[in-house]
Amino acid sequence: MTSKSSRREFLTRSVQGVALTATGGLVWSYLLQQQAHAAPHAIRPPGAYDEAGFNAKCIKCGQCVRDCPYDTLKLAPTGEMVAIGTPYFIPREIPCYMCEDIPCVKACPTGALDHSLEKIEESRMGLAVIDIENCLSWIGLRCEICHRVCPILDKAITIEHHPRKLSKHARFVPLVHSDACTGCGVCEKACPTEIAAIRVVQPELVQGKIGEHYRLGWKIDTPITQEFKAPKRKDGKDTPATGLDYLNQGEI
Amino acid sequence: MDKLSPTLSQTRREFLKTSVAASAAVTAGVSISSAAIAATKEAEAGWQWDKSVCRFCGVGCGIMVATKDDKIVATKGDPDAPVNRGLNCIKGYFNGKILYGKDRLTKPLMRMKDGKFAKDGKFHEVTWDQAFDEMEKQFKKTYKDMGPHGVSVIGSGQYTIPEGYVMAKLMKAGFRSNNIDPNARHCMASAVVGFIQTFGIDEPSGNYDDIEHADTMVTWGANMAECHPILWARVSDRKIADEDNIKLINLTTCSNQTSDIADIEIIFKPGTDLAISNYIAREIVKRDAIDHDFVDKHCVYATGPYDIGYGMRGTSKYAFDAEKDIQAKELEITLDKDEAIAQRRTAGEKVKQSNRGKAMKHWQISFDEFKKGVEPYTLEFVAEMSKGDVDESLESHAAKLKELADAYIAKGKKVTSFWTMGTNQHYRGSWANEQMYTLHLLLGKQAMPGNGAFSLTGQPSACGTAREVGTFAHRLPADMVVFNGKHRDISERHWNLPAKTLNPKVGAHITKILRSMEDGTIKWAWVQVNNPFQASGNANHWIAAARKSDNFLVVSDPYPTVSAKVADLILPTAMIYEKWGLYGNAERRTQGWRQQVNPPGEAMGDVWQGLEFAKRFKLKEVWGEHKVPGLKSKGFTDGELPSVLDAAVKMGYSPEDTLYDVLFATAKNKKVAWPHDNAVTKGHGNHIAEKLGDGWFPEKALFDEYRQFTLGNAHDLADFDTYIDDGIRGLKWPVINGKETQWRFNEKYDSYVTKGNGFEFYGKALKATPTGNLDKVTSKDKKKLAGRAKIFFRPYAAPPEQPDDNYDLWLSTGRVLEHWHTGTMTRRVPELHRAVPSAQIWMHPTDADKRGLQRDDLVWVETRRGKVKARLETSGRNRPPKGYTFVPFFDESVMINKLCLDVTCPMSKEQDFKKSAAKVYKA
Amino acid sequence: MAVDNNTVKPDTVKLGPNGKPVRPFVMPSTLVGKLKVWRYIIYRRIVQLGSLLLFLGTVHWGWSIAGEPLLIGNLSSSTLFGIVPLADPFAVLQIFLTQHLLEQEVVIGAGIVLLIYTLLGGRVWCSWACPINMVSDLASWLRRKLSIKDSFILSRNIRYVVLALSLILSVITGIAAFEWVSPISMLHRELIFGIGMGWMAILGIFIFDLLVLRDGWCGHLCPLGAFYGVVGKVAPIRILFDTPTCTHCSECVRVCPEPKVLNFKKAAEVGMIASGDCTNCGRCITVCPENTLAFGLRVQSNISKKSSNKLESNLRRAT
Repeated sequence: MTSKSSRREFLTRSVQGVALTATGGLVWSYLLQQQAHAAPHAIRPPGAYDEAGFNAKCIKCGQCVRDCPYDTLKLAPTGEMVAIGTPYFIPREIPCYMCEDIPCVKACPTGALDHSLEKIEESRMGLAVIDIENCLSWIGLRCEICHRVCPILDKAITIEHHPRKLSKHARFVPLVHSDACTGCGVCEKACPTEIAAIRVVQPELVQGKIGEHYRLGWKIDTPITQEFKAPKRKDGKDTPATGLDYLNQGEI
Repeated sequence: MDKLSPTLSQTRREFLKTSVAASAAVTAGVSISSAAIAATKEAEAGWQWDKSVCRFCGVGCGIMVATKDDKIVATKGDPDAPVNRGLNCIKGYFNGKILYGKDRLTKPLMRMKDGKFAKDGKFHEVTWDQAFDEMEKQFKKTYKDMGPHGVSVIGSGQYTIPEGYVMAKLMKAGFRSNNIDPNARHCMASAVVGFIQTFGIDEPSGNYDDIEHADTMVTWGANMAECHPILWARVSDRKIADEDNIKLINLTTCSNQTSDIADIEIIFKPGTDLAISNYIAREIVKRDAIDHDFVDKHCVYATGPYDIGYGMRGTSKYAFDAEKDIQAKELEITLDKDEAIAQRRTAGEKVKQSNRGKAMKHWQISFDEFKKGVEPYTLEFVAEMSKGDVDESLESHAAKLKELADAYIAKGKKVTSFWTMGTNQHYRGSWANEQMYTLHLLLGKQAMPGNGAFSLTGQPSACGTAREVGTFAHRLPADMVVFNGKHRDISERHWNLPAKTLNPKVGAHITKILRSMEDGTIKWAWVQVNNPFQASGNANHWIAAARKSDNFLVVSDPYPTVSAKVADLILPTAMIYEKWGLYGNAERRTQGWRQQVNPPGEAMGDVWQGLEFAKRFKLKEVWGEHKVPGLKSKGFTDGELPSVLDAAVKMGYSPEDTLYDVLFATAKNKKVAWPHDNAVTKGHGNHIAEKLGDGWFPEKALFDEYRQFTLGNAHDLADFDTYIDDGIRGLKWPVINGKETQWRFNEKYDSYVTKGNGFEFYGKALKATPTGNLDKVTSKDKKKLAGRAKIFFRPYAAPPEQPDDNYDLWLSTGRVLEHWHTGTMTRRVPELHRAVPSAQIWMHPTDADKRGLQRDDLVWVETRRGKVKARLETSGRNRPPKGYTFVPFFDESVMINKLCLDVTCPMSKEQDFKKSAAKVYKA
Repeated sequence: MAVDNNTVKPDTVKLGPNGKPVRPFVMPSTLVGKLKVWRYIIYRRIVQLGSLLLFLGTVHWGWSIAGEPLLIGNLSSSTLFGIVPLADPFAVLQIFLTQHLLEQEVVIGAGIVLLIYTLLGGRVWCSWACPINMVSDLASWLRRKLSIKDSFILSRNIRYVVLALSLILSVITGIAAFEWVSPISMLHRELIFGIGMGWMAILGIFIFDLLVLRDGWCGHLCPLGAFYGVVGKVAPIRILFDTPTCTHCSECVRVCPEPKVLNFKKAAEVGMIASGDCTNCGRCITVCPENTLAFGLRVQSNISKKSSNKLESNLRRAT
């Protein structure tokens, strides 16, 4: 009787313990997921892995912050809309000035910032996007500060000249090119409008993608294949008939 | 004319009705909802809009200013202004903010100790009375000891027309001193010499509409994309409208933003522009592309001496040891290989600069002599000597030069040449300017729509004030000069002065004023609308000189500038929209505006400062006899300015009258009453008239007085009220019967041209010269050339300072789009400061590597004259060729101009900021 | 903040198991005496604040030696003299479990730190380095002052569950589970790199420790403490227990943040405080009226229990 009841009690308590642990674990992992996705738009130091990899590897030691000569980087304090304790920067405050020797990446002990990044131009911290409704240059004013301050101007930002139509002045229209833009944010910092009309964001927030089934005819020359390897036709006997649903359905 | 097409006028009318917030949508072609218009109107409740002008460069864009509660709340590009049609560059966008820098000066400040002025004291707040008392005391002491040549005013191409007029009249007619010279000297004095020697009258024959007419546009030493942004938008529009037929060619020493849409970029070695022009001239002659009709009827050939020095002091006891070797070249040079070929002499020959004081001398030559002059400038010779980029092949460079010549010569193609500081700030700037006209005149491509050599200016009223009013050491209003007796007579008549009041001796140009302060021959200086101690070459000398114990320096400025810092007395000044004013831009367009807001604190406009100072001088103190060493002029005893007091009394003046009464608040001027006709003032205030309190409207009265000089003189201006009129967005002089002149010297457009002549270069100056051959005058008899322009042969001469083993890089200074001049206004606009916080040194990446330097490294830039620290930039907007560096001069923490050689064009006295030799090493 | 001076006034003279009368701990009246009692707490604060200062100085004031930065980073990971990597082994273990490849540097750093704490005694981390210790010590001291009773009883072993959970969740969620919520890193990071909302978590711990559960965080929940507890089981430096002198007065138990480790019976058997949960804070040593307790090496406990006293006096002299 006693042994039975104590056994039951033990069982009950064990189950309770496991349940409590499981509940705790669930709540905890929920919190973790929340944190990890707190701000997918945070602009990371150069060489940062994709957000999942970065979140996993960053040990939040702040060594990259210490080694940044421009005080660009900061560690997200609790409560910021950035995953807690991770390094990030706000380009409008201090952008990344793209040091040639990339000290922040060198400082990273865990490799959350990819040590294989050798040229700062190859880093992709984000992507600058222009609000063409509020960009002074798009409107027609001679601003184009973003272009002139861009550390890789004429590659990351180029100027196109468009007619203004209202007068005989060309508009000097800045365009950002994702294949070269590192997301350093020097343009965002320098933009003279009250709220920057060019801003660095994570590319996935703004970038579309054309279908894999289509290629731009003028981009890469692909001549007609000379030695075409014609595949053998497969025997179609076993394939069921299709189209019957529509053909047999309803009144004609 | 830049009229909008009728299909667009509907949009434009809408555009006019709405305001800044809405204008973006219109520009993008979106019509605005009535709700948006209502919201804009609501947001703008209580705002008052008025027309005005941009404060910055020489383009002269119109802007609209909105005020509320005595504060500027917004600005917009003026959609009716033909120059900019509602647009602005990024500096213009911030016009409204330049007034509101945190450290705006609002009280006079004087160096004091124990309540008294002390040269070694700290600045303390004083009253205007105290300030003027000390200024007067110091002035009178120097004036008594040294006479009119001991005092000076350093003026500005940013003076409003009334300001320049007040100061020129006060100095020349009042103090009988010609020691007034503007910073515009360093901006376009070379252009002026070019105009006067070529045409006999100043300023461009064409206008900005040339852009819309030209087929080919060539920029020589002009980074228009950054320095004339709105004009460049017009050039770019022309280019994209017809990409295949419109050709842009950029000649520069450093690849820049202007190259971006150019068809051809020619990188040349500094100084060799002189040779490139001659190569084109030679091609024109060789291919017989000369417009013989035009040249025979309207031109003559001319040349002048080559050995004219470099505008340096030959020797100076204050020279740093390091600069003595360059300074010695002022007296004698050794010809290098290229120079020898270019001047038909032998290399290694030593040439005494014996025509140093006679640089302006020139004489007519025959076409054959001209042909002989350009003969050495073959493509092979010029291509090799002028190639500026070591990485470019000689073939490529030569091919481009040939294309350039082809483009100029091409039959039926209209060509406009633009140039600015690369050509003007040049040890032979006047020659370079004249060469431009040589090309256009030979080809008969001048003074017609789309065809012409067009000198651009850098300052908002370099033309309107500095040149037209004559705030130069040698000038009087309307292109007259102090050394011409007739001109003095005319001026004395206009100004109602006794004969011989005006001093015939040319005063000190700006560089000479600074040098004289060092030498102790000028001891009192007043700097206005200008920052010479940051902007001048070799400024370490001048800064030290300003602090010498017996010099007294007054600086009027709205902000604490470098010049204010070295001053003894600082006067707080009203800024552009705080006063009534007029500016004249590079296309002869005069534009006026009303006072929009009151100046802060006790700041006062420069007109008031001049007038108030004038009140402190009685005729007997200034119109007596003066010793003027070196004065030599017909009708004057050598070295003496006679007393004109007796004559003055005969004219009805009293020796006790003040200069204020005699020169400014004359009976006639006082009739121009303040408060004024509301049709003109529209309720706007005038802090100057109100403070004077004696019931006249100085800006209007003085402008209309000045206007009398221009009438019938091919400079005709409209009256004050016309320029203020709401319906007028500036007029290009000469304004005849209320009609502006589009192209001068061309019968179709210019009523000054004698009917039937087709063209006439009617300028009156220097219209009779001796004759001679390439080397010398052969007949001193003056041969008249009325109505004709001169086609000059000017040779290539080598720059006096060039990179060597020790100072191994070229150093050029200049502008960036975001900042203006020494940055005293634009650096106080937080957004512009954020965008471009400091000046960098641009260098070729290979040059950086060679010196173990990286982008963003802090480096020392050192020349013979000093060194400054700057951050290194190896990419970006400027792409220097190897061996070349560029540093903008806007940043007072990188005072780069003080490293520049104070070489000037010996004719124009304009400094060359583009050709110093420097070394760069890690800081 | 000071050592407990809550003295129990004996009404009757009790004898201890060794036959000697049980004497209470009496706080010395002289400052020197007091400082002697407080010495370990002073040493610990010096170590805690000193290391924090080194981090702060290197980041904010550019402290360096021979051109090399002194100590960059924080307790999660750092670099000493610009060359020696240091890292929190528990954090590295978690990241390792997220199945992401780590740079060698941080693994070596974790190894070095693990070795140090293994040598010094595992939870030495808790009382000598961890910044939270200052918060929980304050809470604990106030709690005794205010005689606040526990709200409920919670097994101290729960932290081992939390430890296990940290590791399991790291595998499942792909992020270092404890590192992401750790109030320890949060506090240290924010002290060095700028204050954010982290103080709320710290306040939470303080309130929890003060009002809810004695030594609630450090003694019950903290998986990092648990991790070092495991390490401490083999640590050579231990608190030695001189059995013959002990009167079972329990002064030590009263001040101990991990009172379970002061099991007199077990201590008497092995001559030391063997449990890995002991944080080597030294509080017990200074309140023991009989000088029964002293720092020493694990090996000493078996050779001579008496010499432990000597060691203690040696240590005292040395400091």
